[in-house]
Amino acid sequence: MSSARADILAAIAATRAAAHPAMPNAAEITAQAWRLLDMVPGLRPDRVGADVVESFRARVTLPAIGATAEHVQSWAEMPDAVRRYLATHQLPASIALQPHPQLQSLDWQGVVTHPTIAVDEPVAVGLALGGVAETGSLIFHSGHDAPTLFAFLPVHHIVALETSRIWPWLEDYTAALATMPHPRNVNLVTGASGTTDIEGALVRGAHGPGFLHVVLIGERSGALTSDL
Amino acid sequence: MNAFTDRAARAVADTTLKLAIDRTTGTARTKRDAAVRAWPQFQQARELGRQIKDHVIAHLDHYLLEFERNAIASGAKVHWARNAQEACDITIRICKDAGARSVTRAKSMLGEEIGLPQALAEAGITRVETDLAEHIIQLAGDPPSHIVWPALHKTREQVAALFRAHHTDPGAMATVEAMVSSARRELRAKFMAADVGISGANFLVADTGAICTVTNEGNAELTTTPPRVHIVTAGIEKLVPSTAHAMSLLRLLVRSATGAELTQYTTFHCGPKRAGDRDGPEEFHIVLVDNGRTRMLGEGLAEMLRCLRCGACLNHCVVYRQIGGHAYGGVYPGPMGSVLTPVLDGLAESKDLPKACTLNGMCQEVCPVNIPLPTLLRGWRDKAWREGLEPTTTRGALGIWRFMVLRPGLYRLATRIALPVMRLFARRGWIAAMPLAGGWTRHRDLPAPAAQSFMTQLRQRKSAR
Amino acid sequence: MSEVVADAPRVGLFVTCLVDSMRPSIGFAAIALLEAAGCRVEIPTSQTCCGQPALNSGDRDGAIRIAQHTIALLEEFDHVVIPSGSCAATIIVHYPELFAHGSLWHARAGKLAGRTFELLTYLAEIRRWAPRNVALAAKATYHDSCSGLRELGIKAQPRCLLAGVAGLALTELEGSETCCGFGGTFCVKYPAISNAIVGEKAGHIADTGAELLLGGDLGCLMNMAGKLHRAGSPVRSFHAAEVLAGMADGPAIGEGA
Repeated sequence: MSSARADILAAIAATRAAAHPAMPNAAEITAQAWRLLDMVPGLRPDRVGADVVESFRARVTLPAIGATAEHVQSWAEMPDAVRRYLATHQLPASIALQPHPQLQSLDWQGVVTHPTIAVDEPVAVGLALGGVAETGSLIFHSGHDAPTLFAFLPVHHIVALETSRIWPWLEDYTAALATMPHPRNVNLVTGASGTTDIEGALVRGAHGPGFLHVVLIGERSGALTSDL
Repeated sequence: MNAFTDRAARAVADTTLKLAIDRTTGTARTKRDAAVRAWPQFQQARELGRQIKDHVIAHLDHYLLEFERNAIASGAKVHWARNAQEACDITIRICKDAGARSVTRAKSMLGEEIGLPQALAEAGITRVETDLAEHIIQLAGDPPSHIVWPALHKTREQVAALFRAHHTDPGAMATVEAMVSSARRELRAKFMAADVGISGANFLVADTGAICTVTNEGNAELTTTPPRVHIVTAGIEKLVPSTAHAMSLLRLLVRSATGAELTQYTTFHCGPKRAGDRDGPEEFHIVLVDNGRTRMLGEGLAEMLRCLRCGACLNHCVVYRQIGGHAYGGVYPGPMGSVLTPVLDGLAESKDLPKACTLNGMCQEVCPVNIPLPTLLRGWRDKAWREGLEPTTTRGALGIWRFMVLRPGLYRLATRIALPVMRLFARRGWIAAMPLAGGWTRHRDLPAPAAQSFMTQLRQRKSAR
Repeated sequence: MSEVVADAPRVGLFVTCLVDSMRPSIGFAAIALLEAAGCRVEIPTSQTCCGQPALNSGDRDGAIRIAQHTIALLEEFDHVVIPSGSCAATIIVHYPELFAHGSLWHARAGKLAGRTFELLTYLAEIRRWAPRNVALAAKATYHDSCSGLRELGIKAQPRCLLAGVAGLALTELEGSETCCGFGGTFCVKYPAISNAIVGEKAGHIADTGAELLLGGDLGCLMNMAGKLHRAGSPVRSFHAAEVLAGMADGPAIGEGA
């Protein structure tokens, strides 16, 4: 316990005592904080329609967000989606493949895969934990099968997202996060990296990927539900 | 004239700067406006944002302790710094203990506030700025001129010249894309080679002990994941109760800053690398910085602690839009800077800032958490007057004026004398120059007063009846 | 006869120091309008200034003493009306803030604040008055002075009233809600910055193609008119009250009376 800590806490306590003589206890403070969020559902912007998957897809492909998206019915079709992407963009058939069993178990014939990512990796293929329809965000949690840098180092980032794992609202995701141990890194990735630092001109790929392609896997449409 | 008015006058005459300010702030205003229009409940959301922040401010020690507990539980080391010097000392010590030769830095205004670049230089540690704008101003040796677009004052030609001079593989630099590519190449290896990565935090999440960074470039994650050590320097007011509360504030912050709904990268960093993680720092340090914030609590500036650092007030301030960021002379410019700089640098050093304001109130109107900026600026003016910081000429003139205002008879007499005197300087209804009126007439004409005041004319009309 | 609220309130007109010394015609326009709206208008003769210069300079003690003087001379009236958003805001918003909660002066300031109105708001919303047989064939634009706009919500009322002036075409000013750079003492303490701000404003005014600039605050109008004139612009400026009172056939601001 350093004296800086004691000084800062004491300074705060002194002003708080003056301003709010009746001190609520910790449980009351926390309850107060959560009560504030009661009004959130009523004031969110109108971003999520009845079809959560379509809401997500429409948002993530907006020019301002700058991702591309396609839909396949099943995981088996994921490698083909990647092969098509590589061909379209005239990229070599060599990818960094996120070391997740779901991806590794697929048939990658014709594409050379490696589980680690180089500093100037052209293409990385990953898997999002989920998505948020409100903002068109992909969720990545760091972990044994999910190195954080997979989402940041490549030029092209191709991400598999199960349509059944799209949360409607940001708070739906945070409620889910609260039920699990908080990973080291939670990334909400909303589109391709960009900067407007030079004369306001938008340039993609400032440090993160300049190209983000989402492969939606599963049912084309999904009814609005928070239960995931 | 003084240092501030000198800087302001030079800035006002700088047409290149004006073009840059208009382009950057104009785009920001337009985009923010569109984002607000696209969200009918924006005002209610703004009120919620204010309530969340005020709740945290009212219970700051509770949340600091909760945050510390959870951060430590996640494996982070938490340090406390009363002031800029302590914050830098702690940061440098961590760097030295880690044997750091080079550190990468993600953009952090708090880092500027505590003088971290200077401290790193004095400690002989190479500092690599990774945010593109911070990288540009590092090469140029400039301070930031905006809290969201620190390099707005640089033209593309100036950036190209800097990159040509300093990048190892600049290429032709014919386009902005080429310049960004060059910066990407330049910084790539440095991300991976850094011993320590230093970031700020947009939010400190109390119930998880995580810190949140928001960027459009992805440099925060590249700065903080590869190195062995990640140091976060953050003001103690950045606390929020939970990740959900952070989301409510993020909805306001990003729209107010750039008009987007979320930045490309919103990341919650929680502790160092764990068993099973494929990447991440071995050590995770959080330096909680006071540097005047507890003083603000006690001195009537608590509302200023709501600030999300969105920059909307800068973008809408008629003064900022004419003089840019450097003229303010402090780390933070614009309306929020005019409230904060007297806290950081002392009122005597910065008393022009609260005065160089028309009190028009647009800053408060666009503030996502409704900080009463004009009221806080008035408070500084009151304090400056009480502490005798106003020049004797001003006090004297105002004293004479006040004396007369309280004595209507004398006031009428003075008016009866002054009006005809003023009219002596008039040509066809306008005064182009007049003693004591140089401040006005230097740049504009003064309409000549009527021959007789309203009260005189009124009295005459009444007696004529 | 215009539709007027039945009673005839005793209105204390506070003309403001700028109107008193620089443009009395606004004061006479205010009297005419208030009488047309069925008010019994009185001008308390010991009025001088609302004290804004002291307030904005941080001279709180000075502001308090001026506020006390002003409250004492105005509190007897049913209503107090002021042809300026910033002076009205000083009395309505800031006077009560000068006194400790629960004190006698705070109560007096609060009572006065509740009975004080900016002129155009008073005419439109309280007296529900509209101009009759007022004509001005001209293209005009309107500047929303900041205090009135943000502290008192003055926006629609002037436009509503001016819409009743036959032949007057009001074009919206780009950035009408952007400060003109007057700011009271600001414009003389920081002339270079103020000049840059009003220069931009003058450009927007010129862009409207309007012949007339109208507004509700003389300080702002003098600032903009002075800049326009120095720049050689033909745009002429009036207070909206002068137009509504049918006085826009007289000399505009700076045209010498």
